[in-house]
Amino acid sequence: MALKNELSKEEFVAIFENSKSKSFAEENFINLAANNLKKYNLPTKADEEWKHTSIRKILQHKYFIGENLDLDKNQVNLFTIPGLNAYRLVFINGFYSKQFSDEILNNKGLIIKNIADAKKSNPELINKYFENTDISSENFFTSVNTAFSFDGSFISIPNNLALDKPIHIINFSDGNNKKTISQYRNLIIAGKNSNVQIVNSFHSLTVNYTLTNISTEIILEENANLNFNIFQGEGDDAFQINSTKVNQEKNSNFSSHTITLCGSIVRNDLKIEHKAENCETNLFGLYLPDREQHFDNNIFINHAKPHGTSNQIYKGIIDNKASAVFLGKVFVGKGAQKTIADQTNRNILLTQYAKVNSKPQLEIYADDVSCSHGSTTGQIDKEALFYLQSRGINRRRAEVLLLGAFISDVIDAIKVEPLKIFVNILVNNRLNGEKVDGQCAMVSGCPGCDNIE
Amino acid sequence: MAKTLISIKNLKASIEGKKILKGINLEIKEGEVHAIMGPNGSGKSTLASVLAGREIYEVTNGSVTFQGKDMLSMSPEERSREGMFLAFQYPVEIPGVSITNFMKAAVEQHREHKGLEQLTPSEFLKMMQEKKDLVEIEAKLANRAVNTGFSGGEKKKNEVFQMAMLEPKFAVLDETDSGLDIDALRIVANGVNKLKNKENAFLVITHYQRLLDYIVPDVVHVLYNGKIVKTGGKELALELEEKGYDWIKKEND
Ligand SMILES: Nc1ncnc2c1ncn2[C@@H]1O[C@H](COP(=O)(O)OP(=O)(O)OP(=O)(O)O)[C@@H](O)[C@H]1O
Ligand SMILES: [Mg+2]
Repeated sequence: MALKNELSKEEFVAIFENSKSKSFAEENFINLAANNLKKYNLPTKADEEWKHTSIRKILQHKYFIGENLDLDKNQVNLFTIPGLNAYRLVFINGFYSKQFSDEILNNKGLIIKNIADAKKSNPELINKYFENTDISSENFFTSVNTAFSFDGSFISIPNNLALDKPIHIINFSDGNNKKTISQYRNLIIAGKNSNVQIVNSFHSLTVNYTLTNISTEIILEENANLNFNIFQGEGDDAFQINSTKVNQEKNSNFSSHTITLCGSIVRNDLKIEHKAENCETNLFGLYLPDREQHFDNNIFINHAKPHGTSNQIYKGIIDNKASAVFLGKVFVGKGAQKTIADQTNRNILLTQYAKVNSKPQLEIYADDVSCSHGSTTGQIDKEALFYLQSRGINRRRAEVLLLGAFISDVIDAIKVEPLKIFVNILVNNRLNGEKVDGQCAMVSGCPGCDNIE
Repeated sequence: MAKTLISIKNLKASIEGKKILKGINLEIKEGEVHAIMGPNGSGKSTLASVLAGREIYEVTNGSVTFQGKDMLSMSPEERSREGMFLAFQYPVEIPGVSITNFMKAAVEQHREHKGLEQLTPSEFLKMMQEKKDLVEIEAKLANRAVNTGFSGGEKKKNEVFQMAMLEPKFAVLDETDSGLDIDALRIVANGVNKLKNKENAFLVITHYQRLLDYIVPDVVHVLYNGKIVKTGGKELALELEEKGYDWIKKEND
């Protein structure tokens, strides 16, 4: 039963009705999405994929469409990653901030800009690739995104180019005294034999209830190599629904890091499709919810073709009354012989109230494959803790050492070096219970503070 | 006369309601080496763990006074900083924590406790090197995660290395000799002898006389069924080696 002040599906969709004209997508896609919306309801716990994540907390608020606010230089600088020399695209509340972005459109075919303008400058590319992954048909949120997004990032790496530096997409949300919904629609194309690293970071500028709904399509052409990093550092009252769909062509290599440090309810859908043989996929995740935060990672890898490999390592430390979900499904189709797939999810609960639902799943229809999966959820190893303490290290520091060790393989695997260093520092601060100023303004949580006594 | 370093009086401890230590009395003076022998399961490691502050054991009676202070009321880390050290019979593996980071944290906290200035990184590394040399640990072992994938002998050497780093006043070596080859045994024993001085003391738990050829004890105790049932000089160890524990058991059952 819906609460009195809980948004219904109709009310939720109505939020966008007035600004419908600002949607950038072609009419046919908008119509398609609108049709999907007739079919899809707001997800509830009755839906298999939403069994452990309730969005009712998200629906308690009356939202407005995000405003295109002015950013100032200091704000932007506060959220750049130290030492990361990158092509930057900056957005606020779903709108493009040209002023702070390094727009590129060169004669060799490299395009880094906002998608609404790219649709005008490069219609042939958008026509070819938009909805290539059918993301609009995924669920309620991707349909809303397709029907009502104003803008997002467009990145096209031409064939044979190894981009000289990473791309950093910064998405700000700013409730500015209003509860706000922002949407981003991203399209990323890595041409044949290209090589690129992308970081997409999310931050809140003010404290308020905000909902950010992102849909990202990524296409890797033959032999492309793309590394995608999602860094989630929105405020304590920020909700995020982040859907990513990836199509991989022959011999391509996709890797991702999903780092979720802050937010209220964060849901990440990551779907990978091997469209051709010999694709490689490496997915890493790290989530550190505390207090009553809830972080959910939902992964689907479709090994549809032979000789593919995939590897997932997701790790979480859950404090206080926080909760996390890991739902990872590896599907190996009939023709996908010689598939190698491995899936690991490990969690440490710091209190008796912390919760994890972990469900790695394999569904295999080919006979000549090598697949494995594993999931563990436990506490800090008491024997190891005593060993460290017995050498004079106080309990708190010993815990931090052990927790740091627990997640070190995920952090070490981050390929964008400045991001790795940055995450390391933030995580360390978090584990030490320090506020993570600026980057994570709302988080003062302290895994381990009111502990497992 | 040498000062008493640690004094254990009528110490009783149990785990999950099961009585393991049934009234231990032991006094160790500065400069002394004591050995504890005794059959399997008699409570030797339990005594060591209780002294180090392992919480799973419940102390039901008795006292432990260490350099004049009540040791039982201290946390494990405080005991360590006050100069207590336990070389574990079964050192745990800690993947992901390098020995260097581990020892850095430990040394820092020890120095802070003593009010000493912190070492510079190069001073610290120099100290690591000296202590590694002392127990002839291969340099690359120190870059690995604590005990992770170490052989039995390497783990034991690593315990002695940590002891050398922390320079305790009172060290309990729980079967540090078991699993060591003859060369390693000599190295470990030499390490201990180099650390030995007039102001510290060692309690060596062992099943074998051969270690005591290298580390010569002043006093040998036999622990049986949670109690010290016999105390003698180093010749007691020889006698036990020859006769086994049956006569002790007979006297006490
Ligand atoms: N965690 C535990 N739970 C239950 N019983 C325990 C536990 N730890 C020790 N004990 C019991 O306490 C007794 C003493 O064990 P302890 O390890 O102290 O013996 P020990 O003298 O060190 O033996 P060994 O020579 O084999 O090392 C044994 O009977 C053992 O089974
Ligand atoms: Mg023992």
